[in-house]
Amino acid sequence: MKAIFIVNCLTQCYNIMNDHIALINQFFEIEQKLLAEQLIDKFDRNLKRIQNIFEASGLLVINPIGEAYSESRTDYEASIVGNPGQHMKITKVIKPVIYQNDAQGRQLLQKGIVIAEQV
Amino acid sequence: MKSINFGIDLGTTNSLITKYENGKVTIFKHPIGHKETLASVVAFRPGRTLVGDKAREFLTKDPVNIFANFKRRMGTDDKFYVVNLDENVTPIELSTLVLKELKQFVYSGEEVKAAVITIPASFDTMQSNATKKAGLAAGFQEVLLLQEPIAASLAYFNNQENNADRNGYWLVYDLGGGTFDIALMQIKDGEMKVIDHEGNNFLGGADFDFGIIEKIIVPYVTAQFGIENFEEELRKNNGKYEQLFYELIYKSEEAKKELSQQAETQIDFTLDGREVLLSISREDLENTIQARVAETITMLKSILSRNELGTKNIEEILLVGGSTYIPYVRQQLAEQTAIKVNSHIDPTTAVAIGAAYYAANKYYQPKEGVALGDSVEDMLNQLSGIEAEDAALETFPDISLTVSYSQMSKDTEEVMIIKANGNWEGKTYRIIRSDGGFDTGFVPVKSKFTEFLPLINNVNNIFYLRLYDEDQDEIKAALQEITITQGQFNIAGQPIPQDICIEVDDKENHTTKLEVIFEKNAVLPQKKTLYREISKTIKQGSEDSIIINILEGDRNARALSNLVIACIEISGKELTSDLIKGSDIELQITMSDNRELHTEVFLVMTQQEFKNAFSLSEKHVNIDRLKEQFIDLENEIRNSIKMFSYDENDVWAIQANDFLKELMQHKNELFKLKEDDRTDAKYVIAEVLNRVSQAYDKLGGEDRLERLRYEYLEAKEYIENHLPMADFKKEELAQSYSKLLKGEHQVLISRNPSILEKATEKMNSLAWDILWNTLSYIISRYEGFKGLKPDEFKNYQGVQPIFRSADQALSGERYHEFRQHVYSITHLLVHNEYKIQNDDFKGTGIG
Repeated sequence: MKAIFIVNCLTQCYNIMNDHIALINQFFEIEQKLLAEQLIDKFDRNLKRIQNIFEASGLLVINPIGEAYSESRTDYEASIVGNPGQHMKITKVIKPVIYQNDAQGRQLLQKGIVIAEQV
Repeated sequence: MKSINFGIDLGTTNSLITKYENGKVTIFKHPIGHKETLASVVAFRPGRTLVGDKAREFLTKDPVNIFANFKRRMGTDDKFYVVNLDENVTPIELSTLVLKELKQFVYSGEEVKAAVITIPASFDTMQSNATKKAGLAAGFQEVLLLQEPIAASLAYFNNQENNADRNGYWLVYDLGGGTFDIALMQIKDGEMKVIDHEGNNFLGGADFDFGIIEKIIVPYVTAQFGIENFEEELRKNNGKYEQLFYELIYKSEEAKKELSQQAETQIDFTLDGREVLLSISREDLENTIQARVAETITMLKSILSRNELGTKNIEEILLVGGSTYIPYVRQQLAEQTAIKVNSHIDPTTAVAIGAAYYAANKYYQPKEGVALGDSVEDMLNQLSGIEAEDAALETFPDISLTVSYSQMSKDTEEVMIIKANGNWEGKTYRIIRSDGGFDTGFVPVKSKFTEFLPLINNVNNIFYLRLYDEDQDEIKAALQEITITQGQFNIAGQPIPQDICIEVDDKENHTTKLEVIFEKNAVLPQKKTLYREISKTIKQGSEDSIIINILEGDRNARALSNLVIACIEISGKELTSDLIKGSDIELQITMSDNRELHTEVFLVMTQQEFKNAFSLSEKHVNIDRLKEQFIDLENEIRNSIKMFSYDENDVWAIQANDFLKELMQHKNELFKLKEDDRTDAKYVIAEVLNRVSQAYDKLGGEDRLERLRYEYLEAKEYIENHLPMADFKKEELAQSYSKLLKGEHQVLISRNPSILEKATEKMNSLAWDILWNTLSYIISRYEGFKGLKPDEFKNYQGVQPIFRSADQALSGERYHEFRQHVYSITHLLVHNEYKIQNDDFKGTGIG
């Protein structure tokens, strides 16, 4: 009975974590839309506040947009657009990279989904 | 002889590794990203070899160097020419690389010496032998093969409680990401075998994703926006909409998964600057995949007819493969065949789990020993194996790597220079960051080479540098761990000697607690923004205030024991409107190189900003808050004296009494002080409080803390044992328990006895709640109340009808009602067991 109780607690934790990831992905999409509509400045304080809440929960969200593409970066999965070249950059981020910090250290929780191309 | 235990699903698209141990099967996860599956893809990119998900990235752009689906070519004499290597690789060699990569999943560090590898039912002898060869080349001493449908069936049957009398036929329907297989199975006289099978190597979930684009998105976009050649530009290499194509592939897969759970979903994307929002129903998806699913059912029917079996002869259809999650697939199978569809096992891991079950009962002779009954030749082979292994163990590797790098960096990447000493030719290295965010893949060693290591900001970045021999087996003695701290200057800046904390309210405990702003040893300058809520309403124009206290000391000690280095008080008189409880406050705190503290406080509700600068010599003391702290400490010491006396711990009781005496000498003076007092008295008393608090914290030393931790853990164990037995509000109580556990780490490392005492008090209070929601306990207490004397009730006459109602409820088994009556009785007891806390705690005003 005690074991079942502990398993239930762990399942609950797992579900909460999945909810957090879903929430971060939605937040990220909203941020991208505000950026596209040039409304981001208006919500800057609120967005920073939300980011802070995530960080306080041990979740580190990284948007690799504009970074040089690297085959060695395993924290994102990239689709290559156009002809591959030596100096590719990440031109679109569909989902951000999420790491989790806890007592065991830092772990990759979600790989980013990105598009890279020669620019 | 040793049990094999390890199972491997070497799939066309994805592979998995599992292990049977103590009656359970563990599925090992990829150390990078923690996925259970590894993409069966190998990429020979310029200068490095990648295996798995990352290898897939250039699949369509660099097909001459990247290989997937090679399982289909196993057992053929096909060779793939790799342009980047200028040599050929065989499907066996590619499979070997995948198997070696899977071995890295075994996080326990245990070496996988033997494994059961699954193969499709359709594999002939050549293909089977090729798979075995790949396993041996991957370093397994023993490889056993198992057909995938049998593995899936084992996973299912071992999951059943009653396995008796299972004779009969069933079907294993395996619809994966890219392939479809169906197998007819039979158990006869306890023997399980594949009778017949059929499949399509180009039918799976990826086709469904593409179907969403082709049959839903493209027609919609064409009709709505009239874009000429949209589909062509989307699909062709370097087309105008190629970027959109990859985005849509991803979003279509997500939509497909969502439609397994809900009736409708939406896909949104940007097209030539326009926002497109497209709703897709489950019915739309079903129309898209209808023809492909029908194909699978046709194959199912044909397998039955050629074996002269009717659907009635089949016990069940067992579902395997991720695409069987789609409700339409399950529904069509049930409707079209009228056979019971079984989805009780995880379709994505069933084959690997079944392989582990099979491996649990298969044995091999490790090379260290020689089995009786082996042929002389085998024995000689094994002996030579032992010699070879021993030699490897005794000899130091003929290569070593000298690395040079900066241990601290302010940059986002740091270069590492590596020099190879000794025999480096043919060897490869690999560098992985411990959090899974970086992996170089296998890179050939040169006499001298460099790697750029990406760093995550403001943390320690740990990398592992591994070296591999010519067969890509790890040279374990050469492993190096490299730590680079990002965010710190290379030259030592001035470190902060103690934690810098802010005092915030702990309303539940009617006290305050410390939250760290800058950690001890963080290098100056530092800057941080904190977001908090106002924990009490402050009326505009009132004397009431919020107090921002910044302290230096130990974050785990009580606030009083630390040194106040900055105090900002914002009173109601300074506000432009009322500040309502729950409204937000933002605090930006900066500490300069010379330890000057700057604060910027922004009250979101009133939109007011307060800026302050402090040098460490300034002090500010709020008298109201000082009084509150005084009472708090006094009460704590008094309670401790009682507890120490109860435990007959006279030495501690006497010491605590001395502290109390010292404190009480200043009580009268403090409570006479007014806020506008201009003497030094408040500073003197604050100093006494600080000193007594520090001394009281140290009272009893580690012994006292140990005792308190023991009491806490005892209370916790009591809850763990009793919570499962609660009959009412179980969910709510479990949530309260989870909430208490969240702060446990801080409680157990705390050196502040009051934190431990208060945490134990909370646990005990929850334990009482659990008991009062456990029927057997309520009944026993109720029986006890019945035996009480009239003078033990506030209103003896009044309680009698409640007793009668409780009796009726109990005999009628209306337990909720019974519980309410017992609660009512407790309120009429002279010694009520419930404590009512007063709520006049002032605190700092910051929650």
